[in-house]
Amino acid sequence: MNEKARLVFTGHLHPDAFVEFARHRARRLDIVLQIASADDEAVNVTVEGPVDLVDAFEMACSLGPYDCLVLDVVRTTA
Amino acid sequence: MNTGNIWQPVCLSHSIEAGTSAGARLSGEDLVVWRDNSGVAHVWEDRCPHRGMRLSFGFVRGDHIACLYHGWQYDTGGQCQYIPAHPDLEVPKTIKVPVYLTKERAGMIWTTLAADAEPLSVPIDETGTIPVQSLYVDCSADVAIAVLEGMTLAPFSAGRDAETTISAVTPSLYAVSAGHDRLLIGIQTLTAQRTALHVVISGLPEVYEGGGQAHFLSWALDLRFRIENPSKKMFAAPARTVAEAL
Repeated sequence: MNEKARLVFTGHLHPDAFVEFARHRARRLDIVLQIASADDEAVNVTVEGPVDLVDAFEMACSLGPYDCLVLDVVRTTA
Repeated sequence: MNTGNIWQPVCLSHSIEAGTSAGARLSGEDLVVWRDNSGVAHVWEDRCPHRGMRLSFGFVRGDHIACLYHGWQYDTGGQCQYIPAHPDLEVPKTIKVPVYLTKERAGMIWTTLAADAEPLSVPIDETGTIPVQSLYVDCSADVAIAVLEGMTLAPFSAGRDAETTISAVTPSLYAVSAGHDRLLIGIQTLTAQRTALHVVISGLPEVYEGGGQAHFLSWALDLRFRIENPSKKMFAAPARTVAEAL
């Protein structure tokens, strides 16, 4: 079953590093990713794909690249 | 010697039994060498795409290898086919382990890191091979080859005074012959300063198994000693040491 979800990652982020990390994970998981906005405090994305893979994307990005600290993730239906 | 893009051995064939895996290294790249239950050998990048766990720590079941960490299963093409935590998921084709060309020749498993490499030029040895030993030395492949080319070989079969001839079959395979005996030495560049030499006897098992292997193991240990101790002239492994090593 496919899901289209909006994910907002907040914390202490380097937007370029985080976005590159998110794109890599989305490619690996073969899900659709759109970056809505990205700054030092929040990255806002929309993803679409099988629910399990969207879950995996959320989990991966909640860990983030080594130079980013994700403090919270909000997931809503897009 | 150019390293990553040429065919090189990564282990002796007999080192990898069906249904097992092991780690190897070629030109600084970590590899998993595994053999499926039908006996076919595979050489891949030693990294699960999920969490980066070494697949060489994984386990082989039939024609799949599974990661030790979360059990992700990969088929012989490197494609992930099953994720235990998501049994109903159709795994995306993007979850795939990089695989390398793999052949078995001269009693060794060969690979190249170049996807567009020329076909392996090591000839099929129709008389068969008997494994002797893999040697690991802390020097470049060029240094190891230079020492190898200065070695003499006392034959096992007959004619102790037979002349030794050494030739390069390929850049990564040397033949050492004396009398009726012939050794093949596969050269594996682990890193710029670490090299493996895989030694096999080219011949019939009924002639060389046991005594022949012990005889040439002594020669192989001498080779390793000379590589590691370039300033010393002589080394003779005591027969008892060789027997204990067997």
